[in-house]
Amino acid sequence: MNLNNQSSIIKSAILLSFSLILLLGCSKQKTQITQAGITFCSEGSPASFNPQLDTSSTTADASSHQVYDRLLEFNTENGEIEPGLASSWLVSNDSLTYTFQLRKGVSFHDTPYFTPTRNFNADDVVFSIDRWRVNSHPYHDISGGSYPYFQSLGLKSTIKNVARINGYRVEISLYKPDSSFLANLATDFSVILSAEYAMNLLEDGSPSNLDTLPIGTGPYKFVSYRQDQFIRYKRHRDYFLNTTGPENLVFDITPKSSLRVAKLITGECDAVAFPSQNDLEIIREREDLTLLKKPGLNVGFWAFNTSKPPFDNPKVRRALALAIDKTSLLEAVYLGQATRAKSLVPSASWAHQSNMQDIGYNPVIARKLLDEAGIPSDFTMNIWAMPVQRAYNPNAMKMAQLMSTYLAEVGVTVNIVSYDWARFRENLTSGMHDSVLIGWSADNGDPDNFYRPLLTCAAIPSGTNRARWCNPEYDNLIESALKTEDSNERRIFYHRANQIIFRETPLVPIAHAFQYQAVNNQIEGITINPFGGIRFDDVVRKQ
Amino acid sequence: MINLLLRYINLMVVTITTLVIISFSLAYMFPGDTLTNISGIVPQSEEQRIALEAAFKLDRSIFVQFWYYVDNLVSGDWGVSFSSQISLLDEISIAFPATLELIIYALLISICIGIPIGFIGGIWHHKPFDFGVVTFSVVSYSFPVFWIALIFITIFCLQLGYLPLSGRVNYLYDIPHNSGFILWDILVADTPNKNDAFADALRHLILPTASIALVTTAIFIRFTRHSIMDEMRKGYIDAAKSRGFTTRQIFFKHGLRNSLLPIIPLMALQISTLMTNAMVVETIFSWPGIGNWLIQAIYQRDYPAIRIGMLVVSVFVVTFTITIEFISRAFDPARDKFERDAV
Amino acid sequence: MTQFNLYEEEFHPSPLMHIWLEFKRSHFALIGFAILLLFCAIAILAPLLAPYDPNVQNTNAILLPPAWEGNGSIAHIFGTDTLGRDVFSRTLYGCRVTFGSSVFLVLIASTIGVALGTLAGMKKGIKSSVLNHLLDSLMAIPTLLVAIIIVAIIGTGLWNSMWAIILVLIPQFVHQTRTFVREEMKKDYILLDKLDGASSPRIFWSSILPGMFELLAVQSTLALSVAIIDISALGFLNLGAQSPVVELGASLSQSLEVAYTAPWLVALPGFFIFLMVLSINIVGERLRTALRNRLIH
Repeated sequence: MNLNNQSSIIKSAILLSFSLILLLGCSKQKTQITQAGITFCSEGSPASFNPQLDTSSTTADASSHQVYDRLLEFNTENGEIEPGLASSWLVSNDSLTYTFQLRKGVSFHDTPYFTPTRNFNADDVVFSIDRWRVNSHPYHDISGGSYPYFQSLGLKSTIKNVARINGYRVEISLYKPDSSFLANLATDFSVILSAEYAMNLLEDGSPSNLDTLPIGTGPYKFVSYRQDQFIRYKRHRDYFLNTTGPENLVFDITPKSSLRVAKLITGECDAVAFPSQNDLEIIREREDLTLLKKPGLNVGFWAFNTSKPPFDNPKVRRALALAIDKTSLLEAVYLGQATRAKSLVPSASWAHQSNMQDIGYNPVIARKLLDEAGIPSDFTMNIWAMPVQRAYNPNAMKMAQLMSTYLAEVGVTVNIVSYDWARFRENLTSGMHDSVLIGWSADNGDPDNFYRPLLTCAAIPSGTNRARWCNPEYDNLIESALKTEDSNERRIFYHRANQIIFRETPLVPIAHAFQYQAVNNQIEGITINPFGGIRFDDVVRKQ
Repeated sequence: MINLLLRYINLMVVTITTLVIISFSLAYMFPGDTLTNISGIVPQSEEQRIALEAAFKLDRSIFVQFWYYVDNLVSGDWGVSFSSQISLLDEISIAFPATLELIIYALLISICIGIPIGFIGGIWHHKPFDFGVVTFSVVSYSFPVFWIALIFITIFCLQLGYLPLSGRVNYLYDIPHNSGFILWDILVADTPNKNDAFADALRHLILPTASIALVTTAIFIRFTRHSIMDEMRKGYIDAAKSRGFTTRQIFFKHGLRNSLLPIIPLMALQISTLMTNAMVVETIFSWPGIGNWLIQAIYQRDYPAIRIGMLVVSVFVVTFTITIEFISRAFDPARDKFERDAV
Repeated sequence: MTQFNLYEEEFHPSPLMHIWLEFKRSHFALIGFAILLLFCAIAILAPLLAPYDPNVQNTNAILLPPAWEGNGSIAHIFGTDTLGRDVFSRTLYGCRVTFGSSVFLVLIASTIGVALGTLAGMKKGIKSSVLNHLLDSLMAIPTLLVAIIIVAIIGTGLWNSMWAIILVLIPQFVHQTRTFVREEMKKDYILLDKLDGASSPRIFWSSILPGMFELLAVQSTLALSVAIIDISALGFLNLGAQSPVVELGASLSQSLEVAYTAPWLVALPGFFIFLMVLSINIVGERLRTALRNRLIH
């Protein structure tokens, strides 16, 4: 090495630093690819690509409105039921028979792993429903055989038969009238699968691909998926609705909410799921971001495992509920972005009870009740806190920490337990918890959607009844509410159910949160769907 | 020479065997069901448990199990991950090159920047420039790597918005997996927009590489500087000076080679430091490398993955270190055995 | 006996004095040493110095900026975090945990390491040589990686992470001690001791150990900086100290969430870790130079 080499090193160093500075100088590339695509930061990996198998909104977000369509759809503004794949429907006078007229000319996805030879018809509807309804169906046990949403509603015992009348007409008959039936067909979970694809897979010997390599009629085709990293979709050119969405859609899986918002700021994401409460101010202040807000159809609550002593004693549950100060939880965790919940349904629903009484904050009575129930002053319990953010609880860990301070004051020691989201849900379903901080987002506008899956006896095996509570009087009320179409009558039943919940305290309702979504100003057309998953079919990027 | 080779091969074999034994016994040391720790599958029923035990040879003696384990390792059957149920060989072969890419670029930068600066500082030592060099190197060496990464993110991504803070390349660019090295994969892919993708990947690379390279550059600067200063003090330099050579002549002809030689094993040593720092930095930048993967596996208690991941990383580091040491020892037998200083 | 010697004032400093004098010559080293003493003081006195309990949550004062910013208040000098806890108190307690536990574990690691190394060095044989080779090459594996694996086995928590790092630092001490002892055993003064009839422990305590102090001092400063970085790295990865124990690395990991709105939560804990390591490195460097130069002058 001699002097020339040395100076040439210095020269190349200067050149390198210049080019680096140039690279730094151009912020946020606007390239051809990024203009034709949208990146959405989601909060977790979907358990599968078929929302029938799972009630998690992560799965629904990733699949329901992207890959699939439903017979009926909700109008996101007023909650009314609109035609989806069914262009019209008739209900018989005795409310026991529903006849659906199906749309013609709807095509399935054409992908490297499947080429459809026919359009959507009645066979697909029959297949999609019978798959979970009929135990002997060849696809019933594929991918686990558990359909928690439908099970928690007891739909198997409600639906008598699904029959194909002709190629584009389907008739569904029920055993008993169910005024929430149409609403249930419009939820994220009632997707229509491709019967032809299913038959092909059965012949090829790989039937579980139905749920992991999905085929549907929806606006986006599935391209690829890497767990915990990304999901890629491509536009379905022949989608039956004339909507304009981007050519490429990417879900960037980012479990940490702060990281999602950071990516929104740097421009790596165009829209994010569940922005954390801390970051809402930032999003509001920044001019290049928009915060969408709507009163949510959700409830966050603290549920006790009533099948485990001493939580089977309503006195104990009442005492624990009295020991915590809901107001401070609302301030510290929701940062004022939620309303106090006194019962299950929020004010956005027609069944809301505004004059409901509330369990206050009274640690003295709490301690008295605990003593009466024989709970010693060194009693230990655990609170399971969700590791993910949800609209109904943006930070369960923080809430659990705050609650443990309150409970310590009445002599109860708290262990906070958490796992990664998939294992958390599994363990909850097996009932390993003492109590859990979780919640529920409505799948449709019908109040039955809150009362039934959360606290009825039938909902225990499907896992949505986290309190594992079974009260025949309550179940009766919920059943009766379905028998009538008159919402005033139904409301009375639900208000009586509220009283039972207040008395027995299987869970403590904490908050009804506003629903938020954060988007980059360049994206137009995203709205908050209070009833379900995010949709991208009508989203454009401003040029 | 042959003697040396044999000794080093012996060392490598013994070390790798020890690592394999440790990794094997981890299955028993991890909490939880040993069968799940080894196979990655939770047995759903008694029959399945018995069948799995037979398949993984758990019902035989420990030597048979060990032999079975080694056999599987060599043939590429590394088991499946408990959380994702994907073959571990696939996952690691995707994740490992990502980390390697980061480490290699960081090493190159540290060498290209660190050695010349240390060199100049060493020659003009105790002058103002050297003073600045020493200050910079002591300060950079003391930075905790995760802190510097966080500072970079706060300044360059959040406040200034110049650079992206996660991933290797924008997901909208569909780059098929070829070698695992993103820059190479972009160059050989047949997608359109290659230039855009390349620039995008470079922008993603800058901050993680800079975070890791800072500490290593400081180490190279210090070492080069000391090496040059030591060399300058040696007798033969004085002797040559007394014979009339200028410092520059002596140095560039003789001193340089002698002072740069010890740096080669240092590079090997830095691989292990770089590996550790890369692992931490990957979690901050969501870089899909082996470090991030291993740490996620630890959070999710994915024991089969932890075992194999740890084995792969340590075997890589040890093999690399021993090989480089052998090479430098072979070409410079006069040097004493190098003292290790792994952080 | 002359107390004063007016004509020939000779000053013969002891070896320790020598080191100190040499050390004192660099101003930076003195500053570093002062900072180190400051951290020792913080580690001992944190409960007295902290204005608040570090775990008290004040939901009225969430994410207050530090006092020198616009809307900060002097009640919370360094501001507050997402749960309303005072950052200054948390930093003091965090320094205490990070620094204190690092010093503690270096002490333990050095004691065990020296003991094992001496045993290995004083005995001869193929077994010890093979073990030495093995230890040597295992030392090539980065310490943090091994610490992470150990924590994965025994579980998280401050004590477990400390044990993990102790286990990882011991080989360094063993290796150095063994080499040193091996070298010394070959020397003549040990031979003299043996001829005098001294037993092995005696040889070690009175002859070898005094000579080992420099080596130990240097090695310990190196180990201390490694320990601080590893403890805070483990804390950062949530594998180390869990709440309610306050540790600087752990507070950094929680701060990433609010890095945009509250950058001081990122800057302050990390800065203190940096300062700790910097002062150790400066002092260690100067110590090494002082030890080297003592022999020259």
